[in-house]
Amino acid sequence: MGLPDMIRPPLPAREVRLRYTDASARTVYCTQVEVPFPEGRLIVSRTDLQGIITHANDAFIEMSGYERADLIGAPQHILRHPDMPKAAFKDLWETVARGDKWHGYVKNLRKDGSHYWVYASVVPNVRGGVITGYTSVRRKPSRTRVAEAAALYEQWIQQEAASS
Amino acid sequence: MTLNFLIAPDFSPEHFAGWHMLNTTLQKRSGTQLHLLTPTSAAEQAAFLAQDKADIVYANPFDAAHMVRTLGYLAFARPAKRFDEMVIACAAESAVQKVEDLKPGCRIAVTDNKDIKLIGQRLLEPADIGPADIAWVIVESYQAAARLAIKQEVDAAFFLAESFASLSRMTRSQIRPLVESAIHDISHVVLAHPRMAAQLPALSAALLTLQSDAAGQAVLDALGMSDGFEAITQEDAEFMIDLMDTLLD
Repeated sequence: MGLPDMIRPPLPAREVRLRYTDASARTVYCTQVEVPFPEGRLIVSRTDLQGIITHANDAFIEMSGYERADLIGAPQHILRHPDMPKAAFKDLWETVARGDKWHGYVKNLRKDGSHYWVYASVVPNVRGGVITGYTSVRRKPSRTRVAEAAALYEQWIQQEAASS
Repeated sequence: MTLNFLIAPDFSPEHFAGWHMLNTTLQKRSGTQLHLLTPTSAAEQAAFLAQDKADIVYANPFDAAHMVRTLGYLAFARPAKRFDEMVIACAAESAVQKVEDLKPGCRIAVTDNKDIKLIGQRLLEPADIGPADIAWVIVESYQAAARLAIKQEVDAAFFLAESFASLSRMTRSQIRPLVESAIHDISHVVLAHPRMAAQLPALSAALLTLQSDAAGQAVLDALGMSDGFEAITQEDAEFMIDLMDTLLD
């Protein structure tokens, strides 16, 4: 079952219909509000091989704006912001499925339509030689790198729109 | 048969006696002969490991990654409610108000604790400062790091949070934290070599029940670990190692 549509926030917000790789879709709302990354902290979560969240630390819960019960068992794409190109996540999943580590700058969507930028690292959980899931750790990003990533992602999204 | 109990060299000097008390108490309560190894540097610890001399190890999290994944050690305990956090601080009178005020070429005092150095480097990323942009000033102790920061001979210094908190009131009044990590997922762990599997249940039980009586609690207090040790599974340790793997680059 797919995620329910987001609730329209009270602030002015862009409405977007997002379609995910599992063939589900939902309507999301994006405001212009950016929430700063909490100083000194790491946002940590784990997913299973299908990208379903199995663990979330307190910083993950706080920054997402969701309740823990909303997140555990939900697909990782619950945080997907429409400003993130599909190509970035395709690269992520292909990289970790090969058993390699992935790093990248990611704009995440909060429950209330605001967003936060992170520098994300994802590693496969290899147990007995077999990948059993993935651990993702997000840390406070460089604003210079965020500006570069935002410009690059905008180009990719335009290219994706042109080719679809 | 005597087992070697190796303590990672990053403990605070005031807890030195506490580790000997723990060693003695574990011997009595588990019926296992233990010999305490207290290397004074990362190099000395590496030499003990290379000689395969460590049967039980109180390991810092980054060394634990190598010991668990490469050497096959088993994780069985960690200090309860006690995480490895770090502080980046500068002189109280410094013009630097936040991490982003530090610039490439800045001088930073650091001890040889590589965990603290690594976490500190991650906290400097928002300032666009990479390891190559820093003029590292290697010091012997956190007290020495504090002195350099106070005299503004360095722009900032890295501290183990516990050591920062134990600096004298006078020293702390002259330095100012810029950022303190609050990771809560990284801690030291107690590891056992697979060859001592037969003795592990008795040793583990002795370690995990120290809080149950006054004598055991006194040992924990002397170690600065009043909340005692808690059991962990191998998967708990693997999770922490995966997490730290993400911090390496």
